[in-house]
Amino acid sequence: MSFDHALRLTEVLLALALAQQSLEHLRAFRRERILFGARIVLCGLVVAGVASPWSLVALAGLSLLILQRFRGPYNGGSDRLGLLALWCVMLARVLPVDQWRELAFGYLGVQLMLSYFISGWVKIVNPDWRKGVALRQVFAFSAYPVAENLRGWSGRPGLLLAMSWAVMLFELVFPLTMISQASLMVGLAIAATFHLANACLFGLNRFFWTWLAAYPAILWLQQRLF
Amino acid sequence: MPNPFSLLLPALVPSWNFFDVISASPRVEYALAETRDAALDAWTEFRPRPQRLSPVAMLGRLFWNPRWNESLYLVSCAERLVEEPTAHGEDEIFRRVAADLAARSDAPPWLSFRLLFIDPTGEREVLYQAAPRLRADIDVR
Repeated sequence: MSFDHALRLTEVLLALALAQQSLEHLRAFRRERILFGARIVLCGLVVAGVASPWSLVALAGLSLLILQRFRGPYNGGSDRLGLLALWCVMLARVLPVDQWRELAFGYLGVQLMLSYFISGWVKIVNPDWRKGVALRQVFAFSAYPVAENLRGWSGRPGLLLAMSWAVMLFELVFPLTMISQASLMVGLAIAATFHLANACLFGLNRFFWTWLAAYPAILWLQQRLF
Repeated sequence: MPNPFSLLLPALVPSWNFFDVISASPRVEYALAETRDAALDAWTEFRPRPQRLSPVAMLGRLFWNPRWNESLYLVSCAERLVEEPTAHGEDEIFRRVAADLAARSDAPPWLSFRLLFIDPTGEREVLYQAAPRLRADIDVR
């Protein structure tokens, strides 16, 4: 995948993900409708390839107003990766030197890889995760399960222990999938399935679309490095 | 008002420590009263989750999930409010609770909310309670 192709694919997927989030805000309050209505228009320009790179610059500027409106990201980690991806693709479009542009886009790929590896590391050093207790607590009392009947999963310690180890090992091993394009594709397919499960069980739909949008960056980075 | 670049920085240099420690989890509860000074003893959970959700509904939420994402935002507001109380955090929760109650014109005029935290042992503790506000004074547009 060429740099230009990967960058274009990332910005289109990201614009679609941001537009989907923005549509959800149109049912909210007046000031939010103005901010997110403007974001939908800018996302449309990015998808259509119109006014590049200024539509991306405007989206990055608007992201600061949205951050200020909510005093931080609206939805934690998913919005953080969305912001990171947006600023990386914007810089990859506007920086004047090819190496700098590659560095900005490559940084997104590196952070995507770290998002799995560090998440796995911080879990495996915690005894509660290694014993399956942490995941039991997530299902038992956290705010995330989308339905009450899912809390019943907390009474299945064997299943949750297996799920905990599957998640931790996958996240820790993920950087090794960058050895080849084929292994990375397999790794990303597993990761996407993991995000889909999180979207279904915990309602984290923004993670699914935002992480998928950044996949071309890591696919390009793999080819660039190996 | 915080500097937007200081809010952006954690996104540009992320920590990626998702679910590293499972800490106490907040629930927003609200109560209505006829007067500002009335005793608040009938607390109702704000937007309780459904008993069940079909697989089709779960997949549908991949594309349209505004209420749930707003509820997750309120979890963030609740955690921030307990760490560092701000008018912004309180306003955000009041607005959303009042907006949901806006259609109930017959409901009592005074509204309050509290933040109930449930810890890993199942212990429940109220860590924040907002002073009552008149629903009519809360901007829900």
